[in-house]
Amino acid sequence: MKKKYLISGVVLIFVVILGVAFFQGQQKQKPQAKPTVGILQLMSHPALDAIHKGIIHGLEEEGYKPGKNIKIDFQNAQNDQSNLKTMSTKFANEDADLSIGIATPSAQALANTITHKPVILGAITDPKGAGLVKNNEKPGGNITGVSDQAPLKEQLNLIKQFMPKMKTLGIIYTSSDDSAVAQYKMFVKLCKQENVRLKAYSIANTNDLTQVAEQAVRSVDAIYVPTDNTIAGAMQTLVGAANNAKVPVFPAVDTMVKQGGVATYGIDQYQLGVATGKMSAQILKGKKKPSTTPIKFFRHGKLIINEKQANKLGIKIPANLLKEAQQKGELIK
Amino acid sequence: MSIIVSAIGQGLTWGIVGIGLFLTFRILDFPDMTVEGTFPMGAAACVAAIYSGASPLVATLIAFVAGMLAGLVTGFLYTKGKIPVLLAGILVMTAAYSVNLRIMGRANLSLFDKPTMLKNHFLESLPPYFDSVVLGIVVVAIVTALIVYFLQTNLGQAFIATGDNPNMARSLGISTDAMQIMGLGVSNGLIGLGGALVAQNNGFADVNMGIGVIVVALASIIIGEVVFGDLTMNQRLIAVTIGSILYRFVILLVLKLGFNANDLNLISAIVLALFMMFPVLEKRFRIRHTLAKGMTKHD
Repeated sequence: MKKKYLISGVVLIFVVILGVAFFQGQQKQKPQAKPTVGILQLMSHPALDAIHKGIIHGLEEEGYKPGKNIKIDFQNAQNDQSNLKTMSTKFANEDADLSIGIATPSAQALANTITHKPVILGAITDPKGAGLVKNNEKPGGNITGVSDQAPLKEQLNLIKQFMPKMKTLGIIYTSSDDSAVAQYKMFVKLCKQENVRLKAYSIANTNDLTQVAEQAVRSVDAIYVPTDNTIAGAMQTLVGAANNAKVPVFPAVDTMVKQGGVATYGIDQYQLGVATGKMSAQILKGKKKPSTTPIKFFRHGKLIINEKQANKLGIKIPANLLKEAQQKGELIK
Repeated sequence: MSIIVSAIGQGLTWGIVGIGLFLTFRILDFPDMTVEGTFPMGAAACVAAIYSGASPLVATLIAFVAGMLAGLVTGFLYTKGKIPVLLAGILVMTAAYSVNLRIMGRANLSLFDKPTMLKNHFLESLPPYFDSVVLGIVVVAIVTALIVYFLQTNLGQAFIATGDNPNMARSLGISTDAMQIMGLGVSNGLIGLGGALVAQNNGFADVNMGIGVIVVALASIIIGEVVFGDLTMNQRLIAVTIGSILYRFVILLVLKLGFNANDLNLISAIVLALFMMFPVLEKRFRIRHTLAKGMTKHD
């Protein structure tokens, strides 16, 4: 009998909590002097961490110093998506003046929970395709942000210049990463237009990468990797397999060049973050409104060449590109 | 306050997943790994059905069926194919990943601007987050009532007997294979249902949303058991849902404590471990006795 009372007791407590909350539900919280910004990141890996750092820097450039005149609530769901909703609710409950989502699922969780305060997308490849905004030019709601869409055509031309004798190009992407798949599809179209033979490989998670990469390097002359969070986290595995077969890897993201890719016209992830931070600051100040601020796309990337890696694989870097990287881009020695 | 309401709402929704796993983990007494595949499968089936124009209620029922089919496959592999149940579950879970990609046609589908069970006039008129609480209570109540009723039928008793002692059950003329297949089917159906509700509550389905589901469901079952001790079967079903709500409170508490965001998993594991050590600590410090004393009148 005692157990019954205990269970009823606990249930009663929940009911009381709900009752109290029900009557408090409509009350408004006091406005805060210091604006609060919530940042929700899906998981830790170099590209997403760089975006996060860039956001802080962007806010600082606009005069918001974390801890001084702005409160930053940073949450990392550690790739467990059941945490995203709780964390989004925490932001809503704090009455955060603005929330930033890094990676698609975190942005979707925020967008679904927060409907009256601005939500900024930190590097979402295709906001319209992910169902986050109605229109990339005129978002219309409380959501806008920055896209990390890579300049695919520029990148494909770069690969052609590096590999004039290339017969088959391989692409490796993660089938569970929506934005990677979106880029893969665009890349397929592009290769058809440019008459490049493309062989596609996909992985479900990083554990598949070793075998898939080993398979891929046997049948292609070069490998392209789109903006792919999973592969970014396991770049060393891919580079290891590619090095053994002397096949160069051309990634879409600058951080992946540093980890052993040969070259790219990359959008600096950190700069993406800075742009996100600046956009957020302008919205906080009331200078811009999410509904009328178009999604920001970066059309041109910065040339980054990993000279060490190119020499290792015996690839000759075209002189004009070498010059461009030295002057306007970055050359890793 | 509203964050607690949201946690209760999520706890109720995840409670259905806990009840689903309870049927295999506690009653049939084996670990079923299929759940990490059937949870996103329910979400995927539900969202895909909503996209193709089905009403949210129908879509949610489709999610139950989808989860059940996957569970039945595990059941057949285990009983007829003689594959150890842990492996059978892992096989189906792995296969479910590809099936889920096929169902959705992509890795992630958003319910932005689409109808869900939470978007109706009555639920939207409630204070914030009460929509998921009300929906959760209704679904948990229906599911719990149906299972309580089922376990008291002859079939239900045979089902319990199969889990308690398969040899004994067989000697009584019970087809234990059929019972295990049925259990896996219903259990995974419920988990698919849970996945559908979570997807509607969160606003999207993602092929990776199955990661960690088995941990959440096991935590709900065990917290419920640890907090309440020995219970009858019906009480245990309710305890799973309460355990699931308490688990959400643990996460909330860890978030509120404001540790470094990267330490979340470590801290929640520590808090959970403390929870699970409760019986040991209890023996030592007589916590429950003291608590009970606090609740009774002075004599």
